Amino acid sequence: MSLSDGGLGSSAPSLRNKNQNTGGGILVILVVASIVLFTVSVRGGETGVLGTVRSGFQTITSPVRYAGAVVASPFQGLANIFTNLTVDQATLSELQAENDELQTRNAELEEAEQTATRLQGLLDLKDTYNLQSTAAHVISGSTDSWTSTVTIDKGTSSGIAVGMPVTATSGVIGQVIGCGATTSTVRLVTDESSSISAMIQTSRAQGMLTGSATGQLALTLISTSQTVEVGDIVVTSGLGGVFPKGLPLGKVTSVENNPGSLYLDIIVEPFSTYGSYEEVLVITSLTEGQQASSDDIAAADAQDTASATSSSTAATAASSSSSSSTTDGTATTATGTTE
Amino acid sequence: MQVSNRNKDHRSILVLAVVCGTLQLALVPNIGLGNGRANLALVFSACIALTVGGRKSVLAGFFAGLFFDLSTTGPIGLMSLLLSVSAYLLGLQGRNRITGDLGLTMGTFTVHALAVSLAYHVTMLLVGEAGGFLDVVALRTLPTALLTVIAFIPFAIWLTRVQPSGPNLGGGRRRSSRGSHFNMRGL
Repeated sequence: MSLSDGGLGSSAPSLRNKNQNTGGGILVILVVASIVLFTVSVRGGETGVLGTVRSGFQTITSPVRYAGAVVASPFQGLANIFTNLTVDQATLSELQAENDELQTRNAELEEAEQTATRLQGLLDLKDTYNLQSTAAHVISGSTDSWTSTVTIDKGTSSGIAVGMPVTATSGVIGQVIGCGATTSTVRLVTDESSSISAMIQTSRAQGMLTGSATGQLALTLISTSQTVEVGDIVVTSGLGGVFPKGLPLGKVTSVENNPGSLYLDIIVEPFSTYGSYEEVLVITSLTEGQQASSDDIAAADAQDTASATSSSTAATAASSSSSSSTTDGTATTATGTTE
Repeated sequence: MQVSNRNKDHRSILVLAVVCGTLQLALVPNIGLGNGRANLALVFSACIALTVGGRKSVLAGFFAGLFFDLSTTGPIGLMSLLLSVSAYLLGLQGRNRITGDLGLTMGTFTVHALAVSLAYHVTMLLVGEAGGFLDVVALRTLPTALLTVIAFIPFAIWLTRVQPSGPNLGGGRRRSSRGSHFNMRGL
């Protein structure tokens, strides 16, 4: 006599019937239904019927997410415990000195806070008149392991739409990729599928800032002829017309010029990391001055042309060295070293 | 002889669904390991599959997967497909009365968690959402499976308490705590 047939709340002994339906028939139906849903979802994206259903679902469940974020907020610092355990004495001394300095500054900032409160009121007024940005609170992080996203407490009812850029006080955090009536999903710049037109603030070298699964940002498409140094600030270029020009994105932490490569390998540390912000601004529209100027577009075109020229030159050099290598075995090595 | 209290079954499943759904929405986003997040939908469907089995477990897997899909930004239908199949297979194994053995239950669930997680992420890779297979396995599949298995531990302990152990007739059965909703009164 098996009890497992009785289920979760069985109140009586039961014999498992060996002829019991194992669910094979319903499985086939549900598998087909799932495949249909998957196909429709992939083809339709966020704009289809399923996107609307998802928006409704996320609106309905937003109170639960919000409650979870409120409950979890006191424990967010626990993640730092393991890091702190391995800190050496020098770092602790440095932190102590920094703490003393910060305490001094704290008094000044108390005063500044009151000023900020007043300015916040002005920002609210600005939002009331439907100007260029809307303030929102982050209520939840990503619920899956696949995407780096956050959920904010403003949706279509507040004028938010898919594609709008989102920024925190320290810099750009991402872009709206899904909207419900009262919530929106923001893809962070660190997401693997994120890609933003960016440039080096000092040299104005323009490229694309892309996310990765490791959480690092990579600034790509900057040719080796451009000047980029560690510590350079990366800002939005305004090309593409989505992000306002000049918003801070991050700081260059590594620059590598690999021999034979046309582009620099640049790693960027984002200014805004998840957990470092609670309030964000959703930029609802761009003014003319915030978009890339014709000069910027011309500069980007010129950079592309220069890259193409250097690519062509490199190809020619490679071709000639290849020809030489038939008569001189050292030619290939020499070419590699030169580049 | 089967004298099944269907109302109690349904009520128990509903309570479990509410608990897992709430945890998935409220707790999971705040606890991560790398890029990994626990999958409470899989935990829910596994609990149903290991205790009830049959059609109910397949349906539970499908709707749990659908819930997961709707709460994420990934394609809808993928997790529901995987959990339907997983629940079906777990339901078959549940017939072998593995639920009384904590080690066997955890082992079986771990295999399913890894398989579901790997299948989900590889499918996402195939639809062009990832940079490489190594990222999929190291940064997403393994952390997700690990967190899901950890999340399943309290449920597995509960399963071993409310279910008989081994193939003996009722052998090793223990009562759940007094007043618990999932009591075995009357067995």
